[in-house]
Amino acid sequence: MKTTQQTRSKPQTLSAMSRLLGPLIGKGYGRGMMLVGIGITVIIVAMSVLAPSIAPRDPTLIGLGLPNNPPSAAFPLGTDQYGRDMLSRIIWGGRFILLVAVAAVAICLVIGLPIGLVSAYKGGNFDRFVALIMDSIYAFPSLVLAVMIISVFGVTIINEALAIAVVYIPSYFRVVRSQVLSIKEMPYVDAAKSAGAGTPSILWKYVWPNVIPSVVVVVGMNFADSILTTAGLDFIGLGLPVTLPDWGIDLTYGRQSLPLGVWWTIVFAGGMILLAALGFALISEGYAERTNPKLR
Amino acid sequence: MGLRDYVVTRILLTIPMMMILLTVVFIVMRVLPGNPVLLRFEKNADPTLIATYTHALGLDKPLYLQYLDYLWGLLHGNLGLSMAGSFEPVAPEITSRFPATLELTFYAFIVAVIVGVLLGALGAQKQGGAADNSVKVFGILIYAFPVFFLGMILQLIFGVGLHILPVSGRLDPGVIPTSPSIAGIHFQTGILTVDSLLSGNLPEFVDAVKHLILPATALGLVISGTFTRMTRTNMLETMRADFVTAARARGLKERTVTYSYALRNAILPIVTIMGLQFAILLSGAILTETEFNILGLGTYLVDRINFRDYTAVQGTVVFLALLITTVSLVVDILYAYLDPRVRL
Repeated sequence: MKTTQQTRSKPQTLSAMSRLLGPLIGKGYGRGMMLVGIGITVIIVAMSVLAPSIAPRDPTLIGLGLPNNPPSAAFPLGTDQYGRDMLSRIIWGGRFILLVAVAAVAICLVIGLPIGLVSAYKGGNFDRFVALIMDSIYAFPSLVLAVMIISVFGVTIINEALAIAVVYIPSYFRVVRSQVLSIKEMPYVDAAKSAGAGTPSILWKYVWPNVIPSVVVVVGMNFADSILTTAGLDFIGLGLPVTLPDWGIDLTYGRQSLPLGVWWTIVFAGGMILLAALGFALISEGYAERTNPKLR
Repeated sequence: MGLRDYVVTRILLTIPMMMILLTVVFIVMRVLPGNPVLLRFEKNADPTLIATYTHALGLDKPLYLQYLDYLWGLLHGNLGLSMAGSFEPVAPEITSRFPATLELTFYAFIVAVIVGVLLGALGAQKQGGAADNSVKVFGILIYAFPVFFLGMILQLIFGVGLHILPVSGRLDPGVIPTSPSIAGIHFQTGILTVDSLLSGNLPEFVDAVKHLILPATALGLVISGTFTRMTRTNMLETMRADFVTAARARGLKERTVTYSYALRNAILPIVTIMGLQFAILLSGAILTETEFNILGLGTYLVDRINFRDYTAVQGTVVFLALLITTVSLVVDILYAYLDPRVRL
């Protein structure tokens, strides 16, 4: 009974927070997946943030060791073709790729969410028009669209984030829209309307908290896809400057030594990209299984 | 609604979709950056050179005229002129590059469907068990794999390590693609496995297949995760259907029930995601072609970007946009034909 009273006294914050965090607690389907995902992500983020203090050497210093030296006691992950320390490069290498992902997700949340909420709730021709535009972008090969935007506007962290956001906003729009379309027919929304609640307050108090779980799932995938797209852009020469320590760039340039049998640069740099994307994908999938019984 | 009405409505819906995509491309490539010639050259480049380029590419006209020219050109199969060399039209280059991309995506798609459907069916059959969990983990893990990274690993193992498969190009150097002839007419589809089979050139066919194995596997595996998940979910739903229970009640073997009754019905909805999967395949093909040095549309696009050849980039993107909308139209119609409920 106590909880019900609390819910009444502070409805929207408590319910929104509990919808967001609720699936994180307790046993049941998808728990293992989600926890492994959270573990991987926390480690990678911590490593990237703390890179300046935990990396043993300067990741950009050329000629620290012999070029293309296999893993050894002095260089646990070997050296790259310029004799740089791979361990330090791996520790530093997530900073930019993760920064792009954070910026892209932020842009998507700020733009994609409100459009989806309002468009679906208003309905009518406006909604049809927006949905048509979003569907057109959604159907387009995402990498091609991102490539087109970056090739014209130039390579910067913000442009990469913008390009990824443009590609991903339709995903947010579609998920939010389909949820809102069913939520707005619910009796409690009708009840709120007849009690005189205005559109903003209905959207914020009654619709938005119910959309949160599916948004979390999309955010997780958005992080994973953003990491993969950024690495892809690095790979085709539209990435950040090649002097930066970055997993995508190490993978791209490590490829030149592949015919020599130099596997370590490729495997460690590529493995980190894979792991980072996997961490977010696991969170997304586990969270989805916990909140959507159909997926079990 | 009959099939014909559905087809007509669907085609009518495709037109605004195409127009939106074409307009987005035009805005991003032409309107927002201003003059693409200025983007190509440094600011202090020779003004007469810039003027020549601007005029030759029709960029000195007002924007609305450029837009109309662009659409009018498309109606005639004109995808614009390249900025490189003597302003060659882009369209012939694209048509010569496209078969390589088509071939790669086709075989990758086959790999994805086979792996995805088999694993998905297995997971559903053993729901909750160790096999099911492994299938789930595979699905997510393979999704998180950068396709070019998977390609590099395959190259390391089968090319550099074991020396059993080629790691680059479409044919060994020295193997010249043959052009088949039917009723005395010589032609070339550019799809090497088809051309070599039609002209009965078995060594060329084997060589082409060898070159396709690694890239098609890399690209196909990365896409297969989606098929695995889709098949598994559909199978689980179908397994609960009455006709499956009825089949079981008649005493049929569990294997027969799973594979002949449930799977057949579970595969149908996979057709719906084929259109979207094609778009994802094309994104992956750009990276796979680059990794395996396949001269297809993807490598053409990357190549033109590195030369700052914005008009050729635009032409390629427009071609892909038209291709995608056409494919999703065909897929939707196919699905409506296969499943009458869609037309309701």
